[in-house]
Amino acid sequence: MMNKKAQWILWVGLIVILALYPKLFGIYYTNLFVTFAVFAIYSVSFNLLLGYTGLLSFGHAMFFGAGGYGTALALKHIQGLPLLPAVLIGLLSAVVLALILCPFVVRVSGTAFAMLHLAFGQLMHMLAYKLRGITGGEDGIGGFPIPPFSIPGVVSINMRAPENFYYFAIVVLGVSLWIMWFFTKTPFGQIQVGVRDNAKRIDYLGFKVSQTKAVVYVVAGAFAGVAGSIYALFQNLISSGALDIFTSFAPITMTMVGGIGSFLGPVWGAVIIQIIEELTTRYTEQVELVVGLILILIIMFAPAGLIGLIKSLKQRWFPSSAPRVNLEKVS
Amino acid sequence: MDPTTAMYVAQGIHGLAYGMILFLVASGLNIIFGMMGILNLAHASFFMLSAYFGFQFLSMTGNFWVALLLAPVVTAFFGILLERFLLRKMHALGHMGELILTVGVSLVILAGVKIFWGTESLPLKIPPFLRGLVMIAGMDYPVYRLFVIGMALVVLAIMALLIYKTRLGKIVRAAVSDADMVNALGINMPLVFMFVFGVGTWLAGVAGVAIAPILLVFPGLADQIGMDAFVVVVTGGLGSLSGAFIVSIIFGLLSSYGVQFLSQLAPLLMFLFMAIVLAIKPTGFFGERE
Repeated sequence: MMNKKAQWILWVGLIVILALYPKLFGIYYTNLFVTFAVFAIYSVSFNLLLGYTGLLSFGHAMFFGAGGYGTALALKHIQGLPLLPAVLIGLLSAVVLALILCPFVVRVSGTAFAMLHLAFGQLMHMLAYKLRGITGGEDGIGGFPIPPFSIPGVVSINMRAPENFYYFAIVVLGVSLWIMWFFTKTPFGQIQVGVRDNAKRIDYLGFKVSQTKAVVYVVAGAFAGVAGSIYALFQNLISSGALDIFTSFAPITMTMVGGIGSFLGPVWGAVIIQIIEELTTRYTEQVELVVGLILILIIMFAPAGLIGLIKSLKQRWFPSSAPRVNLEKVS
Repeated sequence: MDPTTAMYVAQGIHGLAYGMILFLVASGLNIIFGMMGILNLAHASFFMLSAYFGFQFLSMTGNFWVALLLAPVVTAFFGILLERFLLRKMHALGHMGELILTVGVSLVILAGVKIFWGTESLPLKIPPFLRGLVMIAGMDYPVYRLFVIGMALVVLAIMALLIYKTRLGKIVRAAVSDADMVNALGINMPLVFMFVFGVGTWLAGVAGVAIAPILLVFPGLADQIGMDAFVVVVTGGLGSLSGAFIVSIIFGLLSSYGVQFLSQLAPLLMFLFMAIVLAIKPTGFFGERE
C-alpha cells in the first residue's frame, strides 16, 4: 500500500509536469498530447461498455462523430456561441443518438451487439458521406469559429493558441476521467460488472438488466461525444472520416493494448498506440499492418493487455511481497 | 421489346448477379458461423485476397479458367492456416477474442495487398466469348453476368450435394446442432472444423474471382462487398443459409434498381432495410440464436 504522503507527491508531480509540458516539449508534442487526450477519453468511454459491461461495439465512432458534428454544426450556424455550450451540444447530440439506439441494442449482446453496431456505424458513416448539404461529405465542415473560453466579466482565454487549448483539453480529460471513474465506483457500477459476469443472476437479484445496459450505453456515448467534440474543436474540422470503421477500431485497439480489465488500461493503451503510430508513420505508411499485427499479438499472447502483463509478471517475480501499487487500486 | 422493359430486365440481371455473388460470400460466412460459432470478420478480406490471386494467376498464365480454379484454392489454404494456427488457440476472451483477432487479420491482409499489388485498380480480363451481349428471345443479355449467375448456381448445387448426400455432410449437419456430442462420438472435430473453414473461405474466394472482372481489383473491394455480406448475414439471421439466400437476392435487386431510381441514396436502402428488420426481430429473418 502506498501511503497518503507518497500519493500526494505523485499527484502534485503529475500536475506540475502537465502544467510545464508545453514549455518543455514545444508545440508539436503539445498538439500530440491533445490528440492523446481525445483518444484517452474516447477509449475509456468505450471500455465502460467492453471492460465493465462486456459489450463489444464495432460502431463507437457513431458517438464520436455525433459529438464532433454536433459541436461543429452548432458553431457554424449559431453566431457567438460560447465554448462550453458548444461542447455540451456535442455531448447532447451523442446522448440523443444513444437514446434513439438503446431500445434496439440493449436486447442483444455478444456477437449480435457487435454486428448491430457495425451496421449502425456504417449507416451513420454513409449518411454523413452522402448528405453533403448538411455534413459536407468527405470534405466535412471546417473553418467554423472557435470561441474563446470565457466567464463573462472575469476572464476570456483565446482557444486558438495551441497552448491554451492544451490546458483546456487536459481539464476536460481530467474531469471526464474522474466522472467515469466515479461512475464505475457507485453501487450502480457494481451492477454493471454483475451484468457482465452473470446477467441472469443480476436479473434474479431484482436488478434491471436492460435498463442498466441502457444507462451505461448512454453514458459511454456521452463521453465519446465529448471526445469527438474536443477533436472537432482541435482540428477545426470534422468530416465523414471521423465516423469510419478505423475510428471505431481505434478504441478497441487501445483498450486491448492497455488492458481490458482496468479503468486506466485504455489510457495507457492510448499512450502506447500514439507512440507507436508516431514512430511508424515516420518510417512507413503501413499503419494498418502495424495496428493489425498489434491486435493479433496482443490477443494471442497478452489478452489482458499491458496492465494484465505487468500484473502477471509481478506475480511471477515477487510472489507475495509485491507492493500493490495504485494501478491495482483503480482497477 | 420496348426500351423500358429492356432496362428493367437488364437491371434485374445485374441485381441477380450481384445477389448471387453476395450469397456466395455470405454463405461461407454463415457455414463457418453455424458450425464453429465464429464470426469471421476477415472473411471479406479473403474474398479480396482471392481477387488479387486471380489477377496474379491470370497475368502469369494468361488463362482465365486457371485463375478461376486456382485462386480460390490458394485462398482457402490461407483460411485453413488462419484457423489452424491462430483461431484454434484463441480461447482467452471467447467470441470477443475471435472477433478482434479476425479484425487484426483483415487489417494485415489489407496492408499485404497494398504492399504486393499497390493501391491502383487492376483489371481482370475475361475470355472473349464471355464478353458482350447474347440474344435470347429478342432480348440482349450481358454474357458474363449470366455466366456468374450460372456458376453460382453450380457451386450451390455442389454444396447442397456435399451437405445432404455425403457422409461428411452428415457430420457437418450434426456438428451444427451439437459439435461437442459429435466430437464425443469419436469424430475428429478439429479436422472437420479446419475443413469447414477452408470451404467457407473457398466460397468467398470463388466470389472474389467472379466479381473481379465486373468491379476491378482494388484494396477497397473488401469493404465494399464485405459490409454488404455482413449486412446480409445479420439481416437473414446468423447461421441461416436460406435466410442469407433470400436476403442476398433482395439486396442485389434493391441495389441495382436503387441505383436506377435514387442513385445517391442507393447504398442507404440496404442499411435501412436491415435497421427495420433488426428493430423488429433482433436475430434477423430466420435467425434463432445470437
